[in-house]
This record gives sequence, structure tokens and C-alpha cells, in this order.
Amino acid sequence: MSKELIRLQDVTQVFDGETVLDHVNIYFNDSEFLTLLGPSGCGKTTMLRIIGGFQTPTSGDVFFDGQRINNVPPYKRKVNTVFQKYALFPHLNVYENVAFGLRIPKEAGDGSKEKIKLSKEEIDARVREMLEVVSLKGFEHRSIASLSGGQQQRVAIARALVNRPRVLLLDEPLGALDMRLRKDMQQELKRIQQRLGITFINVTHDQEEALAMSDTVVVINEGVIQQIGTPEDIYNEPKNAFVADFIGESNIVDGIMREDKVVEIFNRRFACLDAGFEKDEPVDVVIRPEDVDIVSEAEGQLRGVVTAVTFKGVHYDTIVDFYGFKWLIQTTDYCPVDSHIGIKIDPDGIHVMKKSKYSGMFGDYSSYSEEYDEINDPTLVEVDEEGRDDEE
Amino acid sequence: MKKNSLGGRFLIGLCFLFLYLPIFLLIIFSFNKGDSSAVWKGFSLHWYAELFHNRLVLDSLATTLLVSLLATAIATVAGTFAAVGIYSLTKKWRDPVLVVNDLPMMNADIVTGVSLCLFFVAFFHGWGAIARWINSWQDLFTLPEQLHLGLTTLVLAHVCFDIPYVILNVAPRLRQMDSNLVDAAQDLGCTWMQAFVKVILPEIKPGIVSGALIAFTMSVDDFVISYFTAGSSTQTLSMTIYGMTKKRVTPVVNAVSTIMFLAVLTVLVINNIRSAKQARLAAKRASFEPVRENPRVERFKEWLYTPRGRFAKRLTAVVLCAAFVVTTVFLTAFTQSQPVVNVCSWGEYIDEDLITEFEEQTGIRVNYQTAESNETMYSLLKSGGADYDVIVPSDYMISQLIEEGMLAELDYSQIPNFELIDQRFRNLPYDPENKYTVPYTWGTVGLIYNAALVDEEITSWSALYDDRYAGQVLLIGNSRDAFGIALKYLGYSMNTTDEDEIREAYELVADAYERGVFQGKVMDEVFQVMEGGNAAIASYYAGDYLSMLENNEDLRFVVPEEGSNWFVDAMCVLKTADNYDNAMKWINFIASTDANLRNMDYIWYASPNTEALERYPTWYEEQYEEPLDPAIYEIIAAPQDVLDRCEMYLCLPKPTRVLYNDLWIKLGI
Repeated sequence: MSKELIRLQDVTQVFDGETVLDHVNIYFNDSEFLTLLGPSGCGKTTMLRIIGGFQTPTSGDVFFDGQRINNVPPYKRKVNTVFQKYALFPHLNVYENVAFGLRIPKEAGDGSKEKIKLSKEEIDARVREMLEVVSLKGFEHRSIASLSGGQQQRVAIARALVNRPRVLLLDEPLGALDMRLRKDMQQELKRIQQRLGITFINVTHDQEEALAMSDTVVVINEGVIQQIGTPEDIYNEPKNAFVADFIGESNIVDGIMREDKVVEIFNRRFACLDAGFEKDEPVDVVIRPEDVDIVSEAEGQLRGVVTAVTFKGVHYDTIVDFYGFKWLIQTTDYCPVDSHIGIKIDPDGIHVMKKSKYSGMFGDYSSYSEEYDEINDPTLVEVDEEGRDDEE
Repeated sequence: MKKNSLGGRFLIGLCFLFLYLPIFLLIIFSFNKGDSSAVWKGFSLHWYAELFHNRLVLDSLATTLLVSLLATAIATVAGTFAAVGIYSLTKKWRDPVLVVNDLPMMNADIVTGVSLCLFFVAFFHGWGAIARWINSWQDLFTLPEQLHLGLTTLVLAHVCFDIPYVILNVAPRLRQMDSNLVDAAQDLGCTWMQAFVKVILPEIKPGIVSGALIAFTMSVDDFVISYFTAGSSTQTLSMTIYGMTKKRVTPVVNAVSTIMFLAVLTVLVINNIRSAKQARLAAKRASFEPVRENPRVERFKEWLYTPRGRFAKRLTAVVLCAAFVVTTVFLTAFTQSQPVVNVCSWGEYIDEDLITEFEEQTGIRVNYQTAESNETMYSLLKSGGADYDVIVPSDYMISQLIEEGMLAELDYSQIPNFELIDQRFRNLPYDPENKYTVPYTWGTVGLIYNAALVDEEITSWSALYDDRYAGQVLLIGNSRDAFGIALKYLGYSMNTTDEDEIREAYELVADAYERGVFQGKVMDEVFQVMEGGNAAIASYYAGDYLSMLENNEDLRFVVPEEGSNWFVDAMCVLKTADNYDNAMKWINFIASTDANLRNMDYIWYASPNTEALERYPTWYEEQYEEPLDPAIYEIIAAPQDVLDRCEMYLCLPKPTRVLYNDLWIKLGI
């Protein structure tokens, strides 16, 4: 499980003077489901293309199984890709799309120039097996144009996996699907990965998808890796304001670390679980909306005024104004607008982070409505265009 | 609103009528029984039958097909690769390059044609030195030192103007193509070239096919560029049609044009239907919308993946390739047999059976070309773009060519039939010692009038300038004839160099023009206008009058009492001729009595062959079993007393030529 398979070492990619990846160091383990997560233009697709061999990094090295592969063309890499919008061959039917890679003779890999050509029977067996894996049995002779988006997605996966790659790269694989289908395919992808036991490297800007599928999540912004960790780590222990804000909802406020396990916010001291900071060090404090309990004004550690309430089904999104700073609180208790309330936060509901360049940029819900709508709009499917123009 | 849309529809209808009525008329008249393009004489298919017996048409059709096929094939391959190359440029470069690609399509054909011609000629100039140099130090092979415009340059020129159309059709397909497709293929193990063959090609195939179809139609259609790059030994169909219209638009031309129109129409309709279908498919694909196809089509597509289907697919490909190769080889053989003689003459100026007969007798292939006037032929020769052997210029042009040293002396020992030429037509002023020429035909210019519109018998040129016929007179459309006739009417010589006399002639014509006597200035249109009774009086060649008479019996011809022009067209050989001996054989063949009789009968111009001239009436009777009207014979071959009234054009000195030209422009009709 933990054997290292791919390593990017000090990789930098520059397009037309614009740095897309900035001295990236990362390794990928065998058999894990890893997601590169970040907003569009952050460099995640470029990283995928470097691994796939479609892009040679401006500087730095790429290692595969210990060997440097910077100049190995894509057709010689034991990596296959599921492309954005699938890139299926429209002139071939389902069967031929899947068989495409098998029909091309490949070098044996033992150094000899001789190429291995698979027999018809073997190709047939492998194609049928793979179509079964992706639940497309019986679709062999259908033309690509006659398939739905979800079915095309499955063909794309089968076409890549039939070559038995060590690593499967997925470039925004669910981007073109509608909400419900996306949820189903998340399960499906996870199931296939577990069944085949190979490495999946998935690229997405959808944090929910990343958390749901991955063993490891890599958060990237502006060409720099912000945090690597399990979904739980990333959510519960964000390293900086960017990660905290990008993954889930967060109230991020300035605080001062008075001593170990004591942080001061709005001049009040709160017990927390964090330690190891300098005394009186200014820090960012993350408080997840669901970790705040609303209590009566008298009992509250902080007191504020409700400015907006939205019913969300399971809970209410309540915006509370504390001394001019607005927080989002998710609670099952209904508090009408303009009511004065108090809040309580348990020590494990507080997460303290070192100050970073992202401090003060995120986590304020003063401009609540716009930002919130944007995050929750499923129709806003981003198409990651980074680097595209330069490669064409 | 309703009224508006009715008006709109009317306007659209009018537009379409304007666009298609001429073509519709052309198609109708291709089925005309008579040989006029103005008078309907009943339905007949015989022009189509004649078309398929017309050697010139068949020859040039073969050339056209060969050139179009080759050029299309080369341009399609080159254009496809060019498009892929352009597409792989960065945006910064791609768009300017595509604009540059569009330029040749918008550029005037004539500019493309002339520039290609110049380019080839310049290259040929330089080539001689290179070839000599290479030949000088090795003797494995010998490179030809002299190159000429011909089939190769024609194909190159067509390739040149076809490529942009291919790129224009392929580029959008590349733009629509998901750029990840190539990555995907490479990801699955393809090298770039394999990806190109397996993925890019199938994906852009519709664009390639429509590019090829458009390129093919463009090649078939092209006239101007071909005209400048084909040289004299090659002639495309459109050039042949143009040559045929030199005299008049015979229904054979209508028939050829109809077939060409229908062929091109078919190709374009097929292409448009295909594009529309492709566009619908692409739209659906872009939105990931499943396409429901006709179950039959679906089943057929499945079948294509079965072993039998694969075999059928490959077989079709092989058969198509083989068909292409065989057609090309066949057409090449058809267009490229040796030896040859290159003849340049006028349209409708020979009984074409004679060409076939000569070829059968001697095995020499005749490249029979036509020019539309002495002046255009002259400029073609001067530009170096022509490699004719035999030309048939008129008298005054001959003297100019001799003066400029462009003609070769003839070897009369190889032309025994020269002895048959009447003494009257030897040693004429244009070739006083008769070293360069063998006369081909002779004739007179006269006045043609419509007896139904003119109620007197005209005997004088004065009718041309007469107010009584205001708006009814056609002025002959070249300065030499128009002013020459006026000079003759005024009693001066047609060859005068006296500026005052020429200016007087000009005044006469200009005055009549101002008084509205002339309906217009015509050359070949004279046939339609006079046959249709749309003008009363014109001046033109005797032989052509007889052709008009067949379509309108009211027409009369007279060589006016003041006298007129008589002319001789004679065969000459150019100094640059490559096939001198073949040229002698051709001249001798045409000078024979039999050939003269048949030509005379076919074109109604008089023969210079003594025997043919005398025997023609009896020969006519034997052929058609009815006697020849002596009046008609007199019009074809003017009797000596008429000839005595007439004058032959001499080559005018340069200042006089300039004066003619200036006055002609000043006249501004």
C-alpha cells in the first residue's frame, strides 16, 4: 500500500512567463486513490499532464518506479488517462474504442526492439472482461454517439484500464455529468479502483468529490501544494486559511495564542486542543459552522445578533454578527432574524493555524449570499482550461 | 406585413430568375434542333451526339479530368498536412496564416494565372543553364534543356489554387476536433504518426472529402489560370469552350456547358447534403446527447465490424485506389501520345474530321488550339507562354511577324501541295517572295442587312451612317475594320498613313454615333443580333454571313461599290517550333484539294486552292444532291471584279497604329 510509485521532484512549469507549477515536490503511492484538488487554473491538470507525458516540465524531474521519465513519450508510459469530456473516438464503436490500445503493438519493455502483438482472442477476452467491469456488457456494437454521458464515461474508463496501466489518470472525470450521475459514478470509480488495486490519480475542483472518493487529497493553489493528507485530516486540520475555506465551510477569525491550549478571540479566551505555538503568537482560528452551539445570550461565550436565516433541510444556515464580523452557524435550532443569541464552542471545535499569506482573505461571511450561492451551484461546472492554449 | 412579405418573395423570385434564367436558357437551347442560339427550331439531342464525336471536346475533356484528378489528389494530401501543421501552431501564428491562406482564393484569377505563367517561364529560363551544367559532368541521364508550359505546369497551377480550398475545408474539422483525441491515442500507445492515421484522419475525413470535392469542381471549372499555364499543347474543356465561342456559341457549346453545369451541380449538392448531416451530428456530440440512428444504418455499421464487413471496406478502398490509378494512367495515355504538332487557329475554322484523318494517316497527334484574335495570339507568342508549331494569322499580322523575325522559312520541298495554290494568292504583299506562308482561306468583308427591315437594295457603305437606320446599325468591334470601312467609303486607301484622312474617317464614325445611328459595337454577338432580327445592318465576314443565312433567310450580303477589305489567312511556322517536320506534313495535308474542299464547305470561307475553288459547285452537288446557288458561291469566293474593288490590309507603321488606338478609345462606344 505504501510503496512509492511516482515522484515529482522540484517540478516547475512555466507557460509564456506564467508559472503554473512552482517547485512542486510530491510522491504518489502504489494502489492509492489520490485526488489533486484545487480551483481552476491552480496547476492540477498540468501536473496530471506531466505525469501522463503530454507535457515536459520546464525544470525538475519526474520519476516512475525509481526511473527518471522526463523524456519518455506518453505511448511508452505505463499510465493511462481518462480525459476531460472523455475524448472517445467517434468513428469507432464501443468495442473498438476499448480495443484501441490493445491493437497497437507495444515494446515488450525488456529492452529489445521487438514489439508484442496481442492475439485476437486475447484482445477479445480482455475487452469483454473490461466492459463487464464498467457494466457495459451488451453495448459492444453501439456507436459512441448513441451513448449517454454516463455510458461514455464508462467507455473512457474501460478504454484506459484495459491496457492494465500501473496508474490511471482521471482529468475531471465527472465534470460533464449531472449531479445524480456524479454521485453514482463516485461510488463506481471507488469500486473499480478497489477491485483492480491500481493507483488512481484524480483531478477535480469539487471538494465534495475529493473527500468522498480519495485515500489522499492534495490541495493545490497557485501552483503550490497547500496540503497533503487524508480527507479527514484535510477537513479537520487544515493547514492554512485557503485550505480551510476551500474544503467545506469555515469561519476564520484572527486570534492570539496566549498559551498552549488557550486561544484568544475577540478578547475572550477559549480552550482548544492546539499547542506548540509561541506565546502570544497571532494565529488564524478556524471554527466550522457545525461546531458552534447556540445558547441563550447569558450563557454564551460570545454574544451576537442574527442577520439572516436560510432553511437547508437538515439544518438552518444562520448568519450571526459578532462585533461586526459575520459567522456562519449551522444549527437545527431556529433563531429568528434580529434575535440576540449567545454561542458556545467546545475545545475540539476550534482549530488553530499558523498565519499564512492567505490570512484575512477567507472565512468572513459578510458577503455571505454571493459566495454561498456560488459554492452550492451545481450547474457551475468548471472546465479546466489551464495550459490548453499553449499546447494546441 | 403580409403585403411586405409578398413583395419580399417577389424580389427573391426575381433574384433567382436573374441568377438562373441564363443557365436555364442555355440548357433549353442545348436541345435546339437548329444551330442558332436565338431561334428555336424544335427538340433534338443531336448536339449531344455531335459532342461525343467532337475530337476537340473529348480530348480536352480527358485533359480536364486528368488535370483535375491529379491536382485534386496532390492538393488534398498537401492541403491536409498543411492544415494539420497550421493547426498545431500557437494561436498567435495560426490566425494570420489562415488569413494568408484565404488570400489566393480572393485574389483575381487573372493575377494568379499571369503570375504563375511568369514564374514558370522564369524558371524555364534558368532551367536551361542548370540542365546544361548537370548534363556536362555526367552521362547517366540527360536532362531536357528546353522546358515548356504543358500538362505538368497545368497540374502544378491547379494544385496551387486547389490547396487553399482543401485547407479551408479541413481546418474547421480540426478546430472542432477534441484536442484531447490525439493525446488519448498517444496515451493508448500510438506514436504521433499512428495517432494521425488512426484518429485524426477519420475525424477530419468529412472535411478532407468535401475539400477534395470542392477542389475538383474548382479545377474542372477553372479557365483563367489554366489559360495562362497550359501552354499550347494542352487544352482544358473550358478553354475549348472558350475557343469555340470565338465565332459563335454553337449549341455544342450549350451541350458541353449543360453537362458541366449538371456535373458540378451534382458534386456540390452531394457535398452540401453531407456537410449538413455532419453539422447535425457534431452539434449532438458536443452536447453529449445520444443520437438515435436509423436501425438500418446502425445494423450496417455493425456489419462493417464483422470480418466480412472489414473485408468489404478494404476491398472498396482497394477498388477506389485502383480505379483512380487506372483512370489516371488511361487519361495520361490518352493525352500524351507522340509525335505531335501544335496548331493554333481560330474557333470553328476547320472541319474537325480532317484532324482525325491526318492523325490516322500519319500517326501524328494534332494539338489543335484556338485563339480569339490576331492580337491575342500575338501577345501570347510574345509572352513566351506558347509553343505552337503552326499558326494561321491574317495578312497584316503575318507581315508584322516576319518583320519581327518570328517566322521560320518553310521547306516547300516538303509541301508539294503548294503547287495547287492559285497564282493570285501567292507572293502577296505580306510575304512578297512567299518564303513563309501557305494560304489557308481568303474572303471579303461586306455589308449584311435584313431585307425585312430595309426596303431598298443596299449597295453603298453609306447605309452604315444613315439616319434612316438610326439605332439599327451594328458597328464592327475593332478599330482596323471600323475605320478601314469609313476610309473606303470616303474614297481613301484602307492602308493610308495620312493623319487627316484617318481623322476624317473618325469624324464620320463619331458623327454617326452621336446621331444615334449605332445600336452598339459587336464582334461575335453579331450572329445572335442579326439572326434574331434585332438589328438591320452590320458589316462582317462573308463566310459568317452564310452561317447567319441558315437561320434567317431575310439576310442579304453585299460588297459595297466603294470597295472593301479582302483578307487572307495563311499557315506559317514559328521559328521556335519543336516539330518542324510534322508542321510541314500538316501544312501539306491542309493544302490538298480534298482538305480545301471540305474546309470550304464547313466554314464557308473561300479556298486558295485553284482546283478546289473551281470544283466546289460540282462537289457540293455530289455531296448534297442539290445544286449550289451561284449567288452563294459568289459570296464565298468573290469574283475577280469584286476583289479588284477590295484592298488588303497592310501592316501599319507604329505611329498610325497608335493613332488608330487613340481614336478608337476617344470614340468610346
